[in-house]
Amino acid sequence: MTALPVAHAGHWLVNLLYVLPVVVVVAMLGWQSWRDRRADASEGDERHEGV
Amino acid sequence: MRQRAALVLGAVAAAALIAPAGAWAHGLVGRQDLPIPRWLFAWGAAVVLVVSFVALAVLWATPRLQQVQERRLLGVPRALEVVAGGLGVAAFAVVVYAGFAGTQSATANLAPTVIYVAFWVGLPMLSLLLGDVFRAFNPWRALGRGFGWAARRIGGEGMPEPMAYPERLGRWPAAVGVFAFAWVELAYAQRDDPSTLVTLALVYAAVQLVGMSLYGVERWCDRGDAFSVYFGLFARLSPLHWRDGAVYGRPPLSGAPRLSPVPGTVALLCVMIGTTSFDGFSQGTTWSSIAPDLQSFFADLGLASDHALEAAFTVGLVGVCLAVALLYRLGVAGMHTVGEHKSTEDLSHKFAHTLVPIALAYVIAHYFSLAAYQGQALASLASDPLGDGSDVLGTASATIDYQWITATGIWYVQVGALVLGHVSGLILAHDRALAIYSRARDATRSQYWMLAVMVAFTSLGLWLLSAAAQQ
Repeated sequence: MTALPVAHAGHWLVNLLYVLPVVVVVAMLGWQSWRDRRADASEGDERHEGV
Repeated sequence: MRQRAALVLGAVAAAALIAPAGAWAHGLVGRQDLPIPRWLFAWGAAVVLVVSFVALAVLWATPRLQQVQERRLLGVPRALEVVAGGLGVAAFAVVVYAGFAGTQSATANLAPTVIYVAFWVGLPMLSLLLGDVFRAFNPWRALGRGFGWAARRIGGEGMPEPMAYPERLGRWPAAVGVFAFAWVELAYAQRDDPSTLVTLALVYAAVQLVGMSLYGVERWCDRGDAFSVYFGLFARLSPLHWRDGAVYGRPPLSGAPRLSPVPGTVALLCVMIGTTSFDGFSQGTTWSSIAPDLQSFFADLGLASDHALEAAFTVGLVGVCLAVALLYRLGVAGMHTVGEHKSTEDLSHKFAHTLVPIALAYVIAHYFSLAAYQGQALASLASDPLGDGSDVLGTASATIDYQWITATGIWYVQVGALVLGHVSGLILAHDRALAIYSRARDATRSQYWMLAVMVAFTSLGLWLLSAAAQQ
């Protein structure tokens, strides 16, 4: 069984703190993209019904 | 389509996790006294970028940098250009002479400090402030023009015209040249040997003269001369533009959108960012744990120990450049999914200039401390270029003042450069998006991807800055 490298967990956790802003921004932008597409789709539907 | 978008967003995050970006190897970093943990700067930088993005979307509704009127500030006498070229040739000759005739100690000989500090680090910063000053002092351009002038005097009208520069070559020769310089600096075992360095400088000068004789001096300098192209790219961010015998004023950054997207431009910019990144990455613990295994691998293939290490560093250098290219490509691929579905290739070229301020930010963040401290050594080296105890200018005893800026001050300069560089990249990308998308809404949405790329580059840069500071 391979031992987990827990001895250096502190280093890895600190490194993760640098990655988190990227993850948060990407998640935020993904969510906003999804909202944009939904808004576009409902806008298209409304226009279609209007016709 | 939505799946593809999600895939690209995920890939940007994944690349950010694995890609080893900019770091700060050459800096002399002392003890920093920071009020908050270093990682909080990455969060702060991300907030600044997001706020900048929102502000651009709300306040910057029409393209402003695509077609800017330049204002003539003053004329430059032709004689001054000749004098500058002559000074460039003289400086080149002194460095080459020092490299061959002087002591072979890297720190006591003028050549390595001039090449690695004044030339490679100082000129990009000078180009940002003053415009393309290297063009005026470029020694091989001056020699090429001098030879051309002499040939016309002797040969008269019978001199053949230069060949047409092959369009498909684009800036590829410059990309190869910058990579080769970085390889010498970062991977080559003899990188600090003054005579080897100036031999390589002479070889480079000879290649440039051949290129100029084939394709014409100005054309070759614009596309093929790695250093001319490299410094010229940074000069595009400057508020000063030297052309047609005059100096023109313009808004900062406005020279970048005029960058012609010829083949090799994206590759060149990725090499510029990637090599600086690898310089930092190679100083960190991650590379320290990988390099010995790679070296053993190449040693097992039969390479001598130092060549095996060079091969390992070459693999690292290429890998980081490719990682940077992948990150940019992911951002562009994301843009492709928005609005009018413009081709990825086309977008890649149209947004290439947004990488210029990032490349400069990496250079400043990475090398600022080198310039700030080792740059002072030029005072003593200029007075004793051969390292033989002479004192030509009376400044041979000048020493380096390590107190003029603290390690904490250097950290703030580095963080400031990274944030400013990436905000500048966002501005350029936003302005270009407004110009190429017919709807402002699509322009803003397309830039979600560039924002993700910019945040990834900034966080990685700060991570490696931090790693270097902890070494």
